[in-house]
Amino acid sequence: MHDFTSLRVLDRFRWIFQKLHIDYEMMRKILQLKLTMDGRRMPTVFNGSKVKKEGNQFLKSLWMYGLYGLLLLTPFLFLGDQFIFFISIMFSVLMFIVMTSMVSDFSAVLLDIRDKNILHSKPISTRTLNAAKVVHILIYMFLLTGSFIIVPLIVSIFRHGIGFAVIFLVDVVLISCLVVVFTAFVYLFILRFFSGEKLKDMINYVQIILTLAIMISYQLVIRVFEFVNFDITYSFVWWHLLLPPLWFSAPFELLLNKDFSIPIIIFSVLAVLGPILSILLYIRLMPAFERNLAKLLSDSKRNRKISRPLDHFWATVLCRTKEEQTFYLFASLMMKQERELKLKIYPQIGFALIFPFVFLYNDLRMHSLEEMSKGNMFLVIYFSLAMIPTVVHMLKFSGTYKAQWIYQAAPIQNRSSIYSGTLKACIMNYFIPIYLVLSILFVWIFTFRIVPDLIVVLLAAIAMTLVSYRVFTGEDYPFSHSHEHMQDMSTLKVFGGIFIVGFFVLVHFIFTKIPFGLFVYMGLLVIGILIGWVKIFPNRSKEVVSK
Amino acid sequence: MNKEKVLSLQDVKMRFGPKQVLNGVNLEVFQGQIIGYIGPNGAGKSTTVKIMLGLIEGYEGKIEIFGEEIGNGDVSYKRKIGYVPETAELYDNLTACEYLTFTGELYGLHRKEAESKAFQLMKEFGLESVFYQRLSSFSKGMRQKVLIISSLLHDPELLFLDEPLSGLDANSVMVIKEILDQLAARGKTIFYSSHIMDVVEKISNRIILLVDGRVVADGSFSELQAQSTEGTLEGIFNQITGFSEHKEIAEKFVEIVSEANAHA
Repeated sequence: MHDFTSLRVLDRFRWIFQKLHIDYEMMRKILQLKLTMDGRRMPTVFNGSKVKKEGNQFLKSLWMYGLYGLLLLTPFLFLGDQFIFFISIMFSVLMFIVMTSMVSDFSAVLLDIRDKNILHSKPISTRTLNAAKVVHILIYMFLLTGSFIIVPLIVSIFRHGIGFAVIFLVDVVLISCLVVVFTAFVYLFILRFFSGEKLKDMINYVQIILTLAIMISYQLVIRVFEFVNFDITYSFVWWHLLLPPLWFSAPFELLLNKDFSIPIIIFSVLAVLGPILSILLYIRLMPAFERNLAKLLSDSKRNRKISRPLDHFWATVLCRTKEEQTFYLFASLMMKQERELKLKIYPQIGFALIFPFVFLYNDLRMHSLEEMSKGNMFLVIYFSLAMIPTVVHMLKFSGTYKAQWIYQAAPIQNRSSIYSGTLKACIMNYFIPIYLVLSILFVWIFTFRIVPDLIVVLLAAIAMTLVSYRVFTGEDYPFSHSHEHMQDMSTLKVFGGIFIVGFFVLVHFIFTKIPFGLFVYMGLLVIGILIGWVKIFPNRSKEVVSK
Repeated sequence: MNKEKVLSLQDVKMRFGPKQVLNGVNLEVFQGQIIGYIGPNGAGKSTTVKIMLGLIEGYEGKIEIFGEEIGNGDVSYKRKIGYVPETAELYDNLTACEYLTFTGELYGLHRKEAESKAFQLMKEFGLESVFYQRLSSFSKGMRQKVLIISSLLHDPELLFLDEPLSGLDANSVMVIKEILDQLAARGKTIFYSSHIMDVVEKISNRIILLVDGRVVADGSFSELQAQSTEGTLEGIFNQITGFSEHKEIAEKFVEIVSEANAHA
């Protein structure tokens, strides 16, 4: 096993642990093992990129956090001396990122129930085990927040002086404590009232949100300076007491701007007391937490059937054979319940929803809303189609890919109905919801005149799904490959996707210039899709019988 | 025997790269038989089953199931087959209900029918309370029961069971054994591979021993006993596979264990 730098640093603090009657050698061994195991896990920040399996992926992702720190935090340092405003925004961002990373990447640390069976059965004191857990989390918190704030910290020394930097550092330590405890509380709360499966779902959603938020913030950061109004003064309202970012920005006002008003003093006190009290509370509640962890493996709260009448309805309407209906329903379930799949696909769907608006927003800076509503800007809705090739490709993968034996063991008469049903489910479950939301908003902006155009977009999306399957996927079974084999298809496929989207936009644009062209195009698309679908998914069972 | 021939293998050979896994297996199985298919690790048991199910292609020889040659592209023979794979792989993000309904439908059942049948069967196993829970929260024994149910939902004529009892408690094992007996009495054929010799001994009315991809013994338990000096199937197994040094290995093993202890 590798000897970790973090452990060698920890060795210097050996005396603290020995003072606390903790078996340091044992704790070190446990930590070494845990860090080795973590090296084989992949953090969410790297989601989607090509990752070699060697080494601690978390450590390799730290520079990403450094970059986020530069992009997301540093700009706030240049917004003047109204600390209470820009620092509280900065700390909101910091807390958000640290908290979501905590949930998405370290829930495995916090929620490891294997500990109970493997470690608690060994002759190690509970005190040592708990210390190992806490230190394990702290090592990561330290590395993560450390790399996140390193750039802003250095910049702040030059911008606001050494005093600012010191307060900043102390604040960050306090915030980290608060975040760890708060995350644990959230878990405790969920486990108290829901089952372990629910918690895993929630962690999954947090992972999805984190991925999405980071991507979107790239878009927003550029515009930050436009949002900020430099001339506002702060006025206190009681509910501000509930906002931790305000607590932590108050000390800057207090110490650097010499603002001794009552609210600022209260905030500053809360900034110190809040984390300390929460840690005390956490220690009190630790046993309850451990007890509830046992529930993690259970799915006990679910005793009713979740009926999905809508899925059944569409299955009967859209599918030609019973076999295809079965796969439609199966694929719909997988798309809604397979966590690894959701983690990969939902961020893509989020982009699809947001991208068109990014472009509309850009245009609004040059034209008025009224001007825009008369133009052809609604064609940006096509950008939501760019995700289709990637999503279709991802349907091949699943965390439970080994269960694919069922496709071969079962008497499936017509194998093409498997993917045919899956693609239909993909369109209905992933594309249609986004399309409907976008359509409603676009009709509201561009009036009902664009309805025929929107229908064309829908048909183009279906055509594109079919083309993507044909070009990028081929004949495989869905959900039958490990995610690990998902190599760097992304670049090629995203560019391919954008190219195809561009083609569709161009054709659409040309047809709008011809009188009734749009309706002709619509007809052509419908015929194309029908022929294409039958060609790609033929009814092969007949051939077999004739043999 | 005047019963119908359910499956026959003629000189079936299979190689994975340079490794010859099956060296000409010949086998005829008749309706109502419970076949115990045994052999050391790597003898080719699972491979045989997988070939018959069409999970592995590229074999040599002739395989007929229900009188039809498999591998002619017609998969409808699988409709009458139930299969419990060795590795209990399921789509465990689905609930038991969803998974069983799905597999039932794959075998041609109607959704409602599959669901109600699955529920009744789960109930008999005492699992009705977890019917709507996700398989990922199931214990090994519960998963195994789900797999067994999924292999029986469509009332198959021929069952392939690969270590079907792994993870089950003694009571459940008794229930499954009885189920197999009664299924065989109703004319179902069961092809059962396992490493647990005393279960195979009690359960099967015909035992086939496979070593190095070849059938080396075939007959009822009493027939095998007559050919051998050993009294138990375990003993017969050891004798035929030529394995006798279990005592020496165990002795050495225990010695090493105690040695480490002496240092501590």
